[in-house]
Amino acid sequence: MFSFGVAHKLRKIVGGDAVLERPEDLMLYEYDGSLARGAPKYVVFPQTTQHISEIVKLAAREGLAIVPRGAGTGLSGGSIARSGGIILAFARMNRILDIDIPNLRATVQPGVVNLDLSNALAPYGFYFAPDPSSQKACTIGGNVAENSGGPHTLAYGVTVNHVTGLEIVLPDGRIVQLGGTAASSAGYDLTGFFVGSEGTLAIATAITVKITRLPEAVATLLAIYDDVQAAANTVVALTAAGITPAALEMLDGWTLRAVEASVHAGYPLDSAAVLLIELEGLREAVDEQAELVSELCRKTRAREVRRAADETERQLLWKGRKTAFGAIGRISPSYYVQDGVIPRTRVPETLRKIEEVSRKYSLTIGNIFHAGDGNLHPLILFDARDAEQTQRTLAAGREILEFCISVGGSITGEHGVGMEKQDLMCTLFTDSELEVMRRLRNCFNPDSLLNPQKMLPSMRTCREAFAPGHHSVEAPVAPAAELR
Amino acid sequence: MNQGTIVQRDLGSRFENLLGPAVVLTDTTDLQRYAIDSVVPRLVLQPESTEQIAAALRVCTEENWTVVPFGKGTRQHIGRMPDQVDVALSTEKLNHIESYDPGDLTISLQAGVSLAHAVAACAEHRQLLPIEAPEGTTIGGALSTSSAGPLRAAFGGLRDFCIGVNFISGDGMNGRGGGRVVKNVAGYDLMKLMIGSHGSLAIITSANFKLFPSPQQTITFVCEFASLGEGLALRDSLLRSPLSPLACEIVSPSAIEYLSESEPHDPDEWAPEPSTQNTAAWQLMIRFAGSDRVLARLRHELAASVSRELSGAGETDLWNQVGTFEERLLKHHRNAMIFQVELPLADSRSAIQAAESSATDYNFVAAITGRATVGSLIVAFLPLAIDPPAVTQFVSAASDFRSRLSKASSAVVMRCPREAKQHFDVWGSIPTDIELMQKVKRALDPQGILNRGRFLVA
Repeated sequence: MFSFGVAHKLRKIVGGDAVLERPEDLMLYEYDGSLARGAPKYVVFPQTTQHISEIVKLAAREGLAIVPRGAGTGLSGGSIARSGGIILAFARMNRILDIDIPNLRATVQPGVVNLDLSNALAPYGFYFAPDPSSQKACTIGGNVAENSGGPHTLAYGVTVNHVTGLEIVLPDGRIVQLGGTAASSAGYDLTGFFVGSEGTLAIATAITVKITRLPEAVATLLAIYDDVQAAANTVVALTAAGITPAALEMLDGWTLRAVEASVHAGYPLDSAAVLLIELEGLREAVDEQAELVSELCRKTRAREVRRAADETERQLLWKGRKTAFGAIGRISPSYYVQDGVIPRTRVPETLRKIEEVSRKYSLTIGNIFHAGDGNLHPLILFDARDAEQTQRTLAAGREILEFCISVGGSITGEHGVGMEKQDLMCTLFTDSELEVMRRLRNCFNPDSLLNPQKMLPSMRTCREAFAPGHHSVEAPVAPAAELR
Repeated sequence: MNQGTIVQRDLGSRFENLLGPAVVLTDTTDLQRYAIDSVVPRLVLQPESTEQIAAALRVCTEENWTVVPFGKGTRQHIGRMPDQVDVALSTEKLNHIESYDPGDLTISLQAGVSLAHAVAACAEHRQLLPIEAPEGTTIGGALSTSSAGPLRAAFGGLRDFCIGVNFISGDGMNGRGGGRVVKNVAGYDLMKLMIGSHGSLAIITSANFKLFPSPQQTITFVCEFASLGEGLALRDSLLRSPLSPLACEIVSPSAIEYLSESEPHDPDEWAPEPSTQNTAAWQLMIRFAGSDRVLARLRHELAASVSRELSGAGETDLWNQVGTFEERLLKHHRNAMIFQVELPLADSRSAIQAAESSATDYNFVAAITGRATVGSLIVAFLPLAIDPPAVTQFVSAASDFRSRLSKASSAVVMRCPREAKQHFDVWGSIPTDIELMQKVKRALDPQGILNRGRFLVA
């Protein structure tokens, strides 16, 4: 009876066709790209900021949690309705509100798909720089929540470097403005603070972003190695030489063979690793840098360096990289992808550590990562139907991330903490540091109505994380197709 | 012995007992050096560790003693006048480079490290920490005041390359955001909160930065225009071209003389000539980095607009002069009122025109420089009369100028005579919700002891 009441009230706000409540409809919203799962009570499709303001007020009255959701491509459980409640799905708030070339800005609703914005900007000679591998599906609202990266963030920065203004709805229904068109303004940079807050502060309803000129020239190089350590050494050498490519990606031999079996991207099957290196800028600069990079690759024992001859070949090389996770999905019942970050000088030893973990736990681990900024994505293959193997997988993942922390790194470079890495937050941050973050969350979201039990661990979680014999356990599910 | 002296002694002995005598300064001449707008602190603390800072802040919160975080004081002129300062908390003993990993292009610096020291350490490895601030500024001071200069065109602001921060909240809690790696989304981005918070939330104790390879060679093109419109038209065509300048500065005709190396006039005996703008030129100074081939192409493409090309020592001097524009102005005009204006790019022209009109209407001359491709201007109102200008003249001019700016812009008065400062709000209006800012302030500084009364957010 009560349940019917809420659905009815939601329909009065957003319209009769914009609320889902039947179990078979809700099932589709139990997942994201992570291993987590959780069933919402309702899925609502707001169309305006005002709708959202009214929905959060209703939710507060009914004591229901609100979980914002873009395309559900997230990799850390950020959009999972962990404690039931209402999923706020942004599929119908997908309009580009303004393209403002004189100010080099665009303003979008949160449901706009990342690549759709770049496509809309292309006729003007601009694009939106953050390019997560899921960019064909993921939304800019989701990018803001997770502070998403992507291969080209090496040169252009992550989402926060491109957001100048936000309209947000607070859990009490108040609609407020943070920042705007100007690159900065006096007062606290709440815009910057909001980006990457994983839906735990407020709900973004309009987003103003910087737009970036399309490069004049692009060169894409494929450096091929017989030894994965040699590829790692190239990464160190390129960074030390002060060369900043637009992108610098690594795939190890196992991963590239899996990719080749799915997409024929042109990675040589007998190699131990490849580096995908992209250079962008003025024609003259790109040509010179391509020479320089090729030379450095050879000096650090690349077997061969190829340059994509045309746009088709270039796109194919990138297709291999961007669809890699999907390719793994073809050959393994499940996989677990990590998102650790390390200083770039530590790439070689971290690869050795991952090999060691793979042997220790008897698990296949593929390596694919944004080598240029030290952001690793080890892929651990397992069968989720095997509980013991699942436990081993989680333990292996944890050991890799603990290693990242031990060399001065981080547990997540772009996927977010979500539900998945909450207990590791207790390892990365002290109680006091977490308490400062909780205080700040409470300025926006004091009753944790928005995205409860995400990102910040409870004090209890931290105590349990350090209890003997503890393993982080989330219900494992099937892999998602095409991800970062 | 009056009441004040007794309290003074209490304060001193309280901290001497807590932190040891080496940390506490009570000598009057020492205290003078830490005055804020002539308000002398009752006590100066020079803690040697973050633990000491936390202990001191806990006591101050408990006793409701106000605290001014202090680096080298190069930017303390910003903000409202404090009513009273109990404690100036200096970071000068936190002056170590904690770690520098040239191979990873990252550096960790304690808050009291001088920017010049950090920049020099990076330069040894041909790496660049692109923070620009007045001579002597500390890392903590640069972060708190969100210091930036012409290089912002290429490298962005501090928010774009500060990758981690450690701080102590007003009530003495350890806080941290980010880390030492260049990509990191674990936890809230507290760097963004600290940058530009003007010491109102916490005491920054250290911070980590991403570095950039130093450009191997650079050139600067100076382009002169009869009108502002022509200068901005070149700026616009640059923004739409594939060319990426290291810096692109717009300079008004009246600002140019302050960039040259002349001896300052006696500020009490001298005033600028009334408007000479009709004859003099606007300048766009555009700096590029690149190889010989790249620079040759730029030279070719920009040939029609370029009046002068600079490289080597002449170029370095020019950019030093642009970077120290504010200090240079003050040598000539101790009564100058200087705004930092942040605005949408397309509002540049109207904002500059507004500055010129408001200045003229209230007997000032406007001298303007700014990051033309970023939307950040330094606007100086120079008093015309030899007699000290009336307070109302500053107040009215500031209010008039602000009223002519678009809603999306903000204009903070960075400097003006102390007498005028008391009669208007140096911060002005901002686009962001103030109520949320107030909540954030209370969350990190519950008693409101940090820079009380000075910042935009109380």
